[in-house]
Amino acid sequence: MSRPNVTRRYFFQECALGVGKIALASLMADGALGRLAAAGSGQVSGLPHHAPKAKAVIHLFMAGAPSQLELFDHKPELAKLEGKPLPPSIINGQRYAFIRPDAAVLGPRYKFARHGQSGAELSEMIPHIASIADDIAIVKSCRTTQFNHAPAQIYMNTGFSQPGRPSMGSWITYGLGSEAKDLPSFVVMSTGAGISGGAACWSSGFLPSSYAGTRFRNTGDAILNTGTPAGIDPATQKDTIGLINAMNDRRLRLDGDSEIATRIANYEMAYRLQTSAPDLMDLSTESKETLELYGCDPKVPSFARACLLARRMVERGVRFINIYNEGWDAHSDVAGNVRNNCAKTDKASAALVKDLKRRGLLDSTLVVWGGEFGRTPMVESSVSLGRSQGRDHHPQAFSMWMAGGGIKGGQTIGATDEMGFNIVQDEVRVPDLQATILHCLGIDHERLTFRNAGLDFRLTGVEPCHVVKKLLA
Amino acid sequence: MSRLCSPLVLALAAAAASAVDFNREVRPILAQHCFACHGMDEQARKGKLRLDLADSAHGKGKSGELAIVPGQPDKSEVIHRIFSEDPDDIMPPPEAKKPMSAKDKAVLRAWIAEGGVYQPHWAFSAPKQAPLPQAGVHPIDAFVRARLAQAGLKPSPEADRFALVRRVTLDLTGVPPTPEEADAFVQDKSPEAYEKLVDRLLASPRYGERWARRWLDLARYADTNGFEKDRPRTIWPYRDWVVKAINADLPYDQFGIKQLAGDLLPDATPDDLIATGFHRNTMLNEEGGADPNEYRFYSMVDRVGATGAAWMGLTMNCAQCHTHKYDPILHTDYYGVMALLNNADEPTYHIPAPDHAKQVAEHARKIAEAEAALPGKFPGGVAALDPKVDAWIAAEAPKASKWEVLRPAKLQTTMPKLEVQPDGFILGGGDSTKSDVYDLTFDRPLKGVTAIRLEVADHPSLPNDGPGLTSYEGPLGGFFLSELQAWHGDRRLEFGEAFATNDEEEDRISDAAAAPKAKAKAKGKAARKKNNASAALDGEMSSGWQVLGGYGQRQTAVFRFAKPTDLPAGWTLKMLFEKHFSCSLGHFRLSVTTDEQATATGHPAAIEAMLAGAAPQDRDALRMRFLETAPEVATHAKALAALRKRIPRGQPTLVMRERPPSNPRTTVRYHRGEYLSPREEVKPGVPAFLPGLPKDAPADRLTFARWLFAPENPLTARVAVNRQWQAFFGRGFVPTLEDLGYQSEAPTHPELLDWLAVEFQRTGWSMKKLHRLIVTSATYRQSSRVTPELAEKDRENLLLARGSRFRLDAEVIRDGALQAAGLLSFKMGGPGVYPPQPASVTSEGTYGRIDWKPSEGEDRYRRSLYTFIKRTAPFAMATTFDAPTGEACIARRDVSNSPLQALTLLNDEMFMEAARALGAKAMAAATDDAGRITFILRRCVTRPPAPDELKTLQAFVDAQRARKVADKDVWTALARAALNLDESIVHP
Repeated sequence: MSRPNVTRRYFFQECALGVGKIALASLMADGALGRLAAAGSGQVSGLPHHAPKAKAVIHLFMAGAPSQLELFDHKPELAKLEGKPLPPSIINGQRYAFIRPDAAVLGPRYKFARHGQSGAELSEMIPHIASIADDIAIVKSCRTTQFNHAPAQIYMNTGFSQPGRPSMGSWITYGLGSEAKDLPSFVVMSTGAGISGGAACWSSGFLPSSYAGTRFRNTGDAILNTGTPAGIDPATQKDTIGLINAMNDRRLRLDGDSEIATRIANYEMAYRLQTSAPDLMDLSTESKETLELYGCDPKVPSFARACLLARRMVERGVRFINIYNEGWDAHSDVAGNVRNNCAKTDKASAALVKDLKRRGLLDSTLVVWGGEFGRTPMVESSVSLGRSQGRDHHPQAFSMWMAGGGIKGGQTIGATDEMGFNIVQDEVRVPDLQATILHCLGIDHERLTFRNAGLDFRLTGVEPCHVVKKLLA
Repeated sequence: MSRLCSPLVLALAAAAASAVDFNREVRPILAQHCFACHGMDEQARKGKLRLDLADSAHGKGKSGELAIVPGQPDKSEVIHRIFSEDPDDIMPPPEAKKPMSAKDKAVLRAWIAEGGVYQPHWAFSAPKQAPLPQAGVHPIDAFVRARLAQAGLKPSPEADRFALVRRVTLDLTGVPPTPEEADAFVQDKSPEAYEKLVDRLLASPRYGERWARRWLDLARYADTNGFEKDRPRTIWPYRDWVVKAINADLPYDQFGIKQLAGDLLPDATPDDLIATGFHRNTMLNEEGGADPNEYRFYSMVDRVGATGAAWMGLTMNCAQCHTHKYDPILHTDYYGVMALLNNADEPTYHIPAPDHAKQVAEHARKIAEAEAALPGKFPGGVAALDPKVDAWIAAEAPKASKWEVLRPAKLQTTMPKLEVQPDGFILGGGDSTKSDVYDLTFDRPLKGVTAIRLEVADHPSLPNDGPGLTSYEGPLGGFFLSELQAWHGDRRLEFGEAFATNDEEEDRISDAAAAPKAKAKAKGKAARKKNNASAALDGEMSSGWQVLGGYGQRQTAVFRFAKPTDLPAGWTLKMLFEKHFSCSLGHFRLSVTTDEQATATGHPAAIEAMLAGAAPQDRDALRMRFLETAPEVATHAKALAALRKRIPRGQPTLVMRERPPSNPRTTVRYHRGEYLSPREEVKPGVPAFLPGLPKDAPADRLTFARWLFAPENPLTARVAVNRQWQAFFGRGFVPTLEDLGYQSEAPTHPELLDWLAVEFQRTGWSMKKLHRLIVTSATYRQSSRVTPELAEKDRENLLLARGSRFRLDAEVIRDGALQAAGLLSFKMGGPGVYPPQPASVTSEGTYGRIDWKPSEGEDRYRRSLYTFIKRTAPFAMATTFDAPTGEACIARRDVSNSPLQALTLLNDEMFMEAARALGAKAMAAATDDAGRITFILRRCVTRPPAPDELKTLQAFVDAQRARKVADKDVWTALARAALNLDESIVHP
């Protein structure tokens, strides 16, 4: 199956010499190590398609779907209409998860004000994001096709609503390879109650499995099995890897299978990961000021800590980072839900952008903030479920923001109607977002394809879609 | 991933026939560049030109030019267009963004120059056995060697005996041989030694486990439902059936027919039903608010795709949204195949135990005994009972009402099918929605009606025995009556009070994360409404009368009219069932009364009739009813009630069941494959390029299943043989195991593939015979050493001048480590088990979290086939080594080689357990270092160490000792290193 070119090269050029430190070192430099360091020059020839602005992506995935009406999309009209149903002409047959389409309107729960030179209109719940208003581009006109969490999250990540397709991070690392010498190039962190879409959200689908996202965990080893087991001291661990590789080297010379060369390199890499992963997690080198900027307690897993770790990963060449904050699913008490989630995410999201900027990394790092869909202008309440003052899922319109590499900050694009129900200007569908993210990385979404089961697949699917030019710097 | 035909194969093809080969060279180019607009898809066709058919291609297009003029490329418009530099003229057009290479253009030109002859696709006509190229040798070797000779290559020598026994044992059983087993073979000098070994392995129960796992990849087997909630499901009896069927060498045609349509076989056995689990392995979305019919549609899409991949070798999935761009599969063909599979319900089947009848009789006897004993338990005995019964009747009679059962003249619903049964109960079935309305019309006028009684009762045909239709997300078998209304024309008939026999059920939102919160809120709100019968009259859709499901569930609600009401002919009863999951009612009976005191007495209808004087009194029945409710014998009555609910039931599993003729499901075409764009009805059928379905059989699943294995079907046997070949050689004759269509690479050994496909059918579709044939060939037994010559001439080993060396499957690696350590359990079958893995795998990052409590004892070390498969958070070791998650049908696994694999083998707790056990075993087995080292190496890689290896390994041991590592830890460390060797995890 997939045999990176370099092993072929290794086989033909180095095999006769046997494997030594020099050969290994050259392998490492070539970086043909699957996901952990897929060839830096790009796994797919011809990539990047154009000069990239961003080298890395940090996707702050607000899972559960935040209420745009309490955060970014101010609709005073809803307050006037509160308690009355929307006209059916607006609803136009949309299906909902829990409510009936004729449910009454719920006015915005929070006050909005204008911020920055750009005058972005933002809710009082996100003062820190408001403080970076001139660095971010807000899109108030996002739209998806899915109205349930798992399919919508999988769609946002893979361009398809069912599990089984490669995720954006997999496509990107497949296309561009890795710049991380001793870390995975696609990392997934989660700090909340659990991701509805599950592992399908970071699956490599039909791409080679080495392009799947690597989970960084909150308990135990951050990367599974990077800790040496009890009873094995460091010297034994070193000797063990030496022994395995010596034996494998002997086998390579006898059998001539180039995969053995890759395996030898992978054991070296595994050994280094045992150091590099804990190093990454060790926040003792971060200043008190930085920790305070994020609101991060180094010992406690949190969204803030994940954001800080993401910056450290970008510094180490990690290509794509997903941070999930679950819990935005405000079927009841949307005001309380937004307050709680903003308390967890507002400061750290803004800190990440500020920190990247002051370190000169923002220009080459694309930060994306948003959920899988929006929430209804109508109220959700149910006596039997004990719900009140909530909002149901709303696929027709939601808000996201992006900042950094390739993005023109200090602008708001798109608009919804007076009720916040439908988009009236600059509709941005999920594939458009994906195409735009790829574009910032130097990838033409129509040209990054993979043949599977008789078809040439791409992240953005078969429907026409476009890079959102207005977003670009 | 070899994306292109290797130059070697192309060169060989060219050598074999001087002419350009249409199928191997030309059709792929046409398919890639031309068919999208000039193929069989009428809608997409441009310029009225088809290049997939000779007649059309040799004729005139819209432009009036001749597309292909045989023998005259310069007069052929196709050539003119592909070589054109004018952007308005050039084909393929620039907007396709797929320019044709100079090489491809040259091939087309040469082909037309040679006559532009079309040939049928090799895989679409039935295979035939070509004469063997050489007599007196194994047929496989005859074909392979003929091919090697063409390429100027020689076969490799036979692998050494240790490699051979290791290879064939791993291939056939998925477990490495023990050193003793290996020695027995190595020392057996008889000419039949190898055949004896093969026969022993084919007869081993391990064989079925090994080959079941490969089949389960196609079946997308898992132990949870997938999607957000990802709850556990019980379908392991299907997995065990696969093992059993393979061990019994159930002929491959029967194996397939039973899985697709076992329920439709005459005299279907329990095993035949269990087998239909194949297509019940689809995922189930139980996320709150999902549209059940949308996800059922996706399940059907999955079933068509999996059927195409597993049996047909066709990318059927490509035709979901439009006519296949390359293969001759129309958009409507896709839905024709879906229609064949679509007419089934998806019940849970309780597998009767072998002594089921005895259990039932025994249980009935126990109930009868308990009933007979009940009067004796009454204080004062039977003598004291009669006066009490009289007094009870006197007290209960005034509360009872005379009820008259209503039979609707018309039953209309938004989706479920309702039918009135002889006992007046109405039975529902089929599909349902999240908001179902039942409209029941009555044609007999009634005067002065005071109340309507709604009896709901369990029924074996319903999910979880009913009485409701809820089959996912909510309480299974329950229902939720949101609103009940009576109408005559546009006049609403007002209800008043309502009563019900059941406790007011707390509503349960099944959402794992939200549940504790919802409960806390509920407690805080004392005023919160409960779900009761009155709530079905309150005009509020989100409240209603709820009954949970289960065997023996019987409840009654009584809805009083606001005042005695005349019900004219044509009056209707409207029932609304609405929740965030489908919650309609499946088994119920309606009655009316003119009694103003009517209420829900809790007595069975027959008893209430007696009490009301509407039926003759049955003293025994009344006495039993009294005893059931008498506080004096409450404990005994409760025990009796529990006994009645606890019927002997077999192990549940998920199956398919053909729908009743009264309620067939129609299949429609979905425009662009979108659920929200249903179009015209499509009749069951198969693509026209394949042999037709028999005319004299119903177009159903069974006929389709049999058709797959009909002798004239060109694909099924080839697909099976190609897949088996891949298992032994790491690559199929055609690398795309799931696709033998136009887009697939030409087979490396077409004659051999066809010869084997015919042989497979001829020998009764016996998989064991096929496997035996393959592993007894010299081709299979070759050394896998990659010589410099082979590395240069055939790096990918397409021509099989050597054995194949590839990494073993995840399951084989884990089982091999446990086997080496002497820990592996060979206990077969049963529910999934939980080998150790870090808790964070299933507790973090997934919504449907589970607490992965590692199994203890033997279950900790079962074969990996039995590891519980959780779709959204799969077993970490398995994922790291490319095992599928059960979310899609997988014909070929990726074979990756990553640092995370190294970390797993080095540091994972399970592998450490194996290392410790193996180290300890070595210490017990030998007293000297060399003996221990040899012991460890042989248990991992079968062969003994070479002298230089012994030295290397001894040096490691010495180095650890020198650092004062405890002896036990030294041997653990050595065992750990041995388990990590490339040779330990590779097909030798």
